Amino acid sequence: MNEDTCSAARRSFLKALPVVTAGAAVPSLGAQAPGARHHWAMLVDIRRCIGCQACTVSCFMENAVPEDNFRTIVSTYAVEQLREGKKEIGTFMLPRLCNHCSNPPCVPVCPVGATFKQPDGEVVVNAERCVGCAYCVQACPYDARFINHETGKADKCTFCTHRLQAGLLPACVETCVGGARLFGDLNDPHSEINRLMALHKDELKTLKPEAGTHPNVFYIGLEDEFVGRIDGEANLWRPTAHGA
Amino acid sequence: MQTHIVEVINMPREVAWLPWAVQYFFLIGLSVGAFLLSLPGLAFGRSKWRNASRLALLGALVCGLTAPVALLSDLHQPGRFYHFYLYMNATSWMAWGSFFIPLYLGGLMLYAWLVTRPDFQRLADRGGRWAPLYRRVAYGGLSSTGAIRAAAGLTGLGATLVALYTGMEVMVVAARPLWNSPLVPLQLLVTAVAGAIGLVLVLERAMGIVRVADTRLLNQALAASQFAALAVGAIWLALGLFELSPSHVRALAEVSGSPEWRLTAAWAAAATLLTLALALLRSGHGLLTGLLAMHSAWMMRWTLFIGGQEIPKVGAGFHAYHLPLGQDGWLGLFGTAGLWVFVFIALTSLFPWGDARDSQMT
Amino acid sequence: MENVRRKIIAAGGLTAFAAGFSQTAYRMWDKVLGKDAPPSRFYGDAPAPEFKVDTLTGELALNPDQQVSYTGCLGCTTQCGVRVRIDKRTGKVLRVSGNPYNPLSANPELPQGVSVRESFVALSRFGDKGLDGRATACGRGNAVISQIDSPFRVLSPMKRVGPRNSGKWEPISFEQLVKEIVEGGDLFGEGHVDGLRALRSLETPIDPNAPELGPQVNQVALMTSVNDGRDSIARRFIQQAYGSINFVRHGSYCGGAWRSGSGAVFGDLKKMPHGRPDLENVEFAIFIGTAPGNAGNPFKRTGALLAKERALGKLEYVVVDPLLSNADNRASRDRGRWIPIRPGTDGALMMGMMRWMIENRRVNTTYLANPNLKAAEAAGEPSFTNASWLLVSEPGHPREGRFVRGSDLGMAIAPELRYKDDDPYFVMGADGQPLQADLASGTAPLELIDASIELDGRPVAVQTAYMQLKANAMRMEIAQYAADCGVPADTIVALADKFTSHGRRAAITGHGGMMSGSGFYNAFGVVALNLLIGNVNWKGGLAINGGTFRHDGDGPRYRLASFEGQIKPGGIPLGRNVPYEKTSEFAFKKAAGKPFPAQAPWFPNAPGLTTQWLTGAMEGYPYRLKALIMWSVNPMYGIPGLRAQLGEDFADPRKLPLIVSVDPLINESNAYADYIVPDSMLYESWGWTAPWNGVPTRMTTARWPVIEPRMDKTADGQRIGIEAFLIAVSKSIGLPGFGANAIADAEGKLHALDCAEDWFLRGGANVAYQGKAPVPDASDEDIEASGVSRIRERLENTLSPDEWRKVAFLYTRGGRYQAHAQAQDAEHPEWMSWRFKDALHIYNDNVGGARNSLTGKRFNGSPIWLEPAFADGTSMRSHYPENAWPMLAISFKSPLQNSYSIATRLRNIHPENPVIINTADALGMDLHTGQAVWLETPGGKRRCTVLVSPGVMPGVIAVEHGYGHRELGARAHLIGERQQPQKQQLAAGININDLGLADPTYPGRSVWVDTVSGASVRNGLPARLSLA
Ligand SMILES: Nc1nc2c(c(=O)[nH]1)N[C@H]1C(S)=C(S)[C@@H](COP(=O)(O)OP(=O)(O)OC[C@H]3O[C@@H](n4cnc5c(=O)[nH]c(N)nc54)[C@H](O)[C@@H]3O)O[C@H]1N2
Ligand SMILES: Nc1nc2c(c(=O)[nH]1)N[C@H]1C(S)=C(S)[C@@H](COP(=O)(O)OP(=O)(O)OC[C@H]3O[C@@H](n4cnc5c(=O)[nH]c(N)nc54)[C@H](O)[C@@H]3O)O[C@H]1N2
Ligand code: SF4
Ligand code: SF4
Ligand code: SF4
Ligand code: SF4
Ligand code: SF4
Ligand SMILES: [Mo]
Repeated sequence: MNEDTCSAARRSFLKALPVVTAGAAVPSLGAQAPGARHHWAMLVDIRRCIGCQACTVSCFMENAVPEDNFRTIVSTYAVEQLREGKKEIGTFMLPRLCNHCSNPPCVPVCPVGATFKQPDGEVVVNAERCVGCAYCVQACPYDARFINHETGKADKCTFCTHRLQAGLLPACVETCVGGARLFGDLNDPHSEINRLMALHKDELKTLKPEAGTHPNVFYIGLEDEFVGRIDGEANLWRPTAHGA
Repeated sequence: MQTHIVEVINMPREVAWLPWAVQYFFLIGLSVGAFLLSLPGLAFGRSKWRNASRLALLGALVCGLTAPVALLSDLHQPGRFYHFYLYMNATSWMAWGSFFIPLYLGGLMLYAWLVTRPDFQRLADRGGRWAPLYRRVAYGGLSSTGAIRAAAGLTGLGATLVALYTGMEVMVVAARPLWNSPLVPLQLLVTAVAGAIGLVLVLERAMGIVRVADTRLLNQALAASQFAALAVGAIWLALGLFELSPSHVRALAEVSGSPEWRLTAAWAAAATLLTLALALLRSGHGLLTGLLAMHSAWMMRWTLFIGGQEIPKVGAGFHAYHLPLGQDGWLGLFGTAGLWVFVFIALTSLFPWGDARDSQMT
Repeated sequence: MENVRRKIIAAGGLTAFAAGFSQTAYRMWDKVLGKDAPPSRFYGDAPAPEFKVDTLTGELALNPDQQVSYTGCLGCTTQCGVRVRIDKRTGKVLRVSGNPYNPLSANPELPQGVSVRESFVALSRFGDKGLDGRATACGRGNAVISQIDSPFRVLSPMKRVGPRNSGKWEPISFEQLVKEIVEGGDLFGEGHVDGLRALRSLETPIDPNAPELGPQVNQVALMTSVNDGRDSIARRFIQQAYGSINFVRHGSYCGGAWRSGSGAVFGDLKKMPHGRPDLENVEFAIFIGTAPGNAGNPFKRTGALLAKERALGKLEYVVVDPLLSNADNRASRDRGRWIPIRPGTDGALMMGMMRWMIENRRVNTTYLANPNLKAAEAAGEPSFTNASWLLVSEPGHPREGRFVRGSDLGMAIAPELRYKDDDPYFVMGADGQPLQADLASGTAPLELIDASIELDGRPVAVQTAYMQLKANAMRMEIAQYAADCGVPADTIVALADKFTSHGRRAAITGHGGMMSGSGFYNAFGVVALNLLIGNVNWKGGLAINGGTFRHDGDGPRYRLASFEGQIKPGGIPLGRNVPYEKTSEFAFKKAAGKPFPAQAPWFPNAPGLTTQWLTGAMEGYPYRLKALIMWSVNPMYGIPGLRAQLGEDFADPRKLPLIVSVDPLINESNAYADYIVPDSMLYESWGWTAPWNGVPTRMTTARWPVIEPRMDKTADGQRIGIEAFLIAVSKSIGLPGFGANAIADAEGKLHALDCAEDWFLRGGANVAYQGKAPVPDASDEDIEASGVSRIRERLENTLSPDEWRKVAFLYTRGGRYQAHAQAQDAEHPEWMSWRFKDALHIYNDNVGGARNSLTGKRFNGSPIWLEPAFADGTSMRSHYPENAWPMLAISFKSPLQNSYSIATRLRNIHPENPVIINTADALGMDLHTGQAVWLETPGGKRRCTVLVSPGVMPGVIAVEHGYGHRELGARAHLIGERQQPQKQQLAAGININDLGLADPTYPGRSVWVDTVSGASVRNGLPARLSLA
């Protein structure tokens, strides 16, 4: 069989889709605190996500996240789309976690300064100071925070700072089955994450860029429909109302 | 259909500001509104307002004293309330609020004291078991319009700051388009005043001191407030519909598709119009308009806070909230109501608010 | 008065206040007590990391309070190698992730020569090593660790109180348990029950009129699930020591149809070998009825490679499935596509593709024409097929459907060797005379015209295997195939075109989706499609598993497969997986002139069939069961339709007098048991596991108790479990093969089998010493770093001085692994190292020569499209027409749950399983997401919730498996005085198996199975929805 029929078959059958580049994200290295050693960031290659939630559950285990709460989850969607007159149906997966924003709206609202950005970029909550007012929960545009009813304090992804300091990777990255979650130091010119971000610089996106938060979680393969609030049918599960 | 998305898995988030918060915003709003109503009669000597203002002051006190307790309960670490004062974060409106509330409440109590001093003196003079206490409270029973006005000014500053901070605290939350509107502080204020008018109308009935003139006066004010509410609502809608403000556009987009939200909007508009109509057409009757006005003030806050939090910030659709039975739900509501009733009875037992005829109050 | 009223109201107000604010007050009180003080300021309740790595120097510092060990996961049948992190002080498992040495968890894996400490560094941020060197556990693997300390666990032996399945138990001692089970007696006050000693009748036939059934000992049976690395000891017990033929695993309700279809191609319908696409190198893969990355086996390795190769490599793939799943990923755009198909119709798609390939000369006929391996290799092919072999096509000939063999042509073959391996096959020679296939030096003709050969002196029509396949493919037009399967004709063509456009770097595979009423032939077609492009054993083609280092054979150190006094069990297995023609029933009926139908179907081409066991035992066909041991198996939950069929019979001791279960949990099946023996959970067990498939290199995963098992102990201090139970029973009855002198080493010296370690550590020695050279010794440092110090003493005490460090080496690495680079053949880098070298079957004459035991009709020996049907071959739709049952229900694996993980954190992510229907169907029925409906099949009716989605084929109802539990926590049992917690949420959703069908074409209890493979039918159930 000749080469032409081959590639023709490939073309006709698995039709290439237009590459959407709108809303490309550029890491805001400028927001780096002076004297910092690291600038932690996560790069999520959505093409490699299989929605297995290993990240979600490993985070529960690593960080003792209480029942019905999440520091991260992989949102999963069934999508039907008309493209060039053709109906296409597929699954979209979107790992979500705290973006450790360079301009985090959760920080200024905290009445007691309990939440702040560490010198290496992690946005954390000081559990000794937090009064559990949940103002930061309201202010985060990504629903990344919650009140932990076991501790009575605001809770969220810490980028597993305790593991980073031990020279290890965050739990969710360590056990990401598809290898979709990449993690590293943007201040290290030789880091793998820098290499990959450079390689994909035209495709990089962040969630809700218009919110001006400058996330430090970047995505490859993020589709426009999923950048902000999803215009679609809600899933069936509801949180068990606290106290109910 | 261009794109049809069905969410199979997503992170459900529970409501983080509980009904406690609604109660706080409701009570503090009524308190501030009632305080404002107390001014014409008690601080500025408008005699036709005398009765109404006197009841308004009672309302301001009862609500004002109850509100912070609900606020405390909305903290998940209430025992750490003093952190607000140890570690103040100046960029947070909530942090400022922790200073404005005592300012306002302190002012309010001073103002109330100054206003009621002569009456206490009179009560003391009548003798009886409580006379020594009354005497001590009256502390000479001096009546000073200057002092009252000064205290009213201080309280007015506190009230303004409280109204400002409560509004701003909500408004600055860009993550929630529904909250992120410059009109929100105004809406909160207008409904607070309306609710306070309603509260006075209801207090009139509750205390059995209905006077048609007072009722008319209050209904007139109520009608004005409903006009204002309608006007603000119309501006809100216009900003969204005509795409004049991005956050309004987003807010509208978030809710317009939902039948529940459309029902809520229609309900709010209908309640406002009904209140307006009744206040104008049956201005001699106050109970219904009063209840309606309070209901609108409550509903506005419930919708804003609980409804607003039912809109996920990244997920699809809505998270339905069901008021639980426990402390964070019904029991909490009862608790606050109980406290309110207790404070009300304590204040009215201590002092004859209802009877202004032989009062020295100006 | 007024005052009193006011006081009462005020008091009421205060009371309400106190009630409403008590929580606030408590919280404030916590503050006073200091209870709000966090363990750490910023890190929540996260425990300290297990070790630290200096990212500048790579220096490792272990956390002395924690242990990190490499062992195997049992969160699903993939049985990945994992690393388990344990809090040494509490013995609690903190978290689990992957073992970097293990190809089921890391891609590529670390060479086993790397030290344990180095392996830890390779997982860290040091030089960003941990990113590519990532070794993972999936979400389920992470979640199931909580089962270890689950409140629903069974820790001591239990005996039922009251009738079966009443949920009440009394804990008893292990010794009492063994005594009662062995000796029997009036155990429950319901009359005498025979014990295992009395039931072990090795001589008396079950039925003197049907001696082929074997002795009465066969009426004691052992049923288990998957080989979790331990079933060697159970098989030894039930078959070799106790003497019953009846040992079975779950295969027939797992992916039996797929495995049988594959077994037909690979020419072994009992062991059923199969292959998987070489995912690291394949360019185009079709997954049909298997959902890579959503379920699939090996789940994690498949998911990881799929994700990697579609993003970074060359892989393009399609998933042909009625349901859209996590096997799809929009972000990878045209690299992966979902093609919806009507349930149970895969054969139509396969035959349509074949037809197009035949008509468009896209079949690799040059490859197919090699009649033996030598000829194939000479032509550069790593495998060969039987496409050119001759078979008898003469209608009515006694050998019709069978290959022409040497003995047919009069070659001198001893009668007992007739039609066995050494009785040669034939192709058509150039001279028109049959030519011995294994002697042919080049290609042989694939197509013959009106060929015949002389058999017994008269001409008999013959054809080639390929001709049969071609005839089957050409039976229908592509348009007809398209209409049947719902895949448009141009998509069929495009698929066939694409599949044949990548040379050998394309492959097609299936699995659970084949569990339909036409499953065997569908699967046969899928696997055979690979042969048409000649991809078997090619790099990037269909790869054969690298296999395992066997522990339980007569290995280099210990003889574990045989022992003095062992029994060779005989008779007919309960699953009727033998030819009907060998039974007395057949002989009687034949003598009476009407050999067909049999009372119930027989499955000569199937392996052990759990699907037939329980219905058959209740029917007494072929015979009744007297005692059943269920070990970690759950047929009542897993077999469609079984529950309704067994109903109360399973609870009736007169129908099955003794049920013993060995299991750490109470599931839907052992809830009916008379006794439950606790068993070890994942990280508490010993064992040696092999990957199910999809790993091209040879490997074995080591399982060992990395934590202290939670089960109670026997009087002599062993942890109770399957091993302790079988050993105690054997010793008590006095069975051979257990106890003193049970195990011979290579020198013939005898050793005892008194405890689990005696078996598994010696098995370990076999693993360590297999192959050219044994594994190296474990260093003290390795032993320390990997927590193997926990079992060091046991190793030293059980094994010889030269053995123990080698076995320890296996435990430090969590197994034994061939080097990743050896996946391909050194001399032929385009060939896989592990090759399937026997003939691949375009035509399987064991199938083609067999008859349907109900109708007497011959089966077709090649792939063919046949509608889903019942046992007598009548189509499902002729019994349950579309106007009454407009929909087809299918089952699919939850991407998260397995069948026993419901009581874990996975529930938080996805608490229920709404049934999924298509948007168009929902519109037609006016249904919306969240609505309650009745789902009804001829097998029953269940209330459930709908989820409306574009991601399902119209006309299909898709039901996620893993929900709808009645046990595993969904019902609180009373154990002695202890009531288990009530957790109603664990019963959420439905189990479609409660709606499985019976077979209406023969009398008695039955579940619907595929006619050839005997595999249960869970896909394509006729169904309808109505508003609830
Ligand atoms: N997440 C998860 N993974 C697992 C397991 C688990 O429980 N959960 N279990 C493990 C086990 S034991 C096994 S055997 C494997 C099984 O792995 P798979 O075989 O991949 O899984 P199944 O869900 O049984 O079936 C695969 C697909 O077949 C589809 N299907 C149903 N009917 C048809 C049909 O008629 N035609 C076609 N073409 N497709 C159809 C289903 O929609 C489903 O997506 O998974 C293993 N991995
Ligand atoms: N409708 C539908 N039916 C199906 C399937 C489907 O996809 N849909 N899948 C089928 C497939 S592929 C399979 S393989 C079968 C599986 O079905 P089965 O092989 O019967 O068993 P499982 O339910 O996987 O597990 C058996 C029992 O093992 C016990 N167990 C759990 N953890 C442990 C442990 O750590 N140690 C020990 N010793 N025991 C443990 C539990 O009691 C559990 O119930 O179900 C099949 N049935
Ligand atoms: S994602 Fe939310 S919680 Fe995280 S830093 Fe940004 S605003 Fe704060
Ligand atoms: S919940 Fe805690 S961290 Fe968040 S704003 Fe309030 S005090 Fe700050
Ligand atoms: S980085 Fe750590 S805390 Fe954040 S989502 Fe991952 S595991 Fe959870
Ligand atoms: S672990 Fe990785 S592949 Fe699995 S869901 Fe999370 S991000 Fe996706
Ligand atoms: S795939 Fe199965 S065996 Fe592997 S980690 Fe996940 S649950 Fe465990
Ligand atoms: Mo399975």
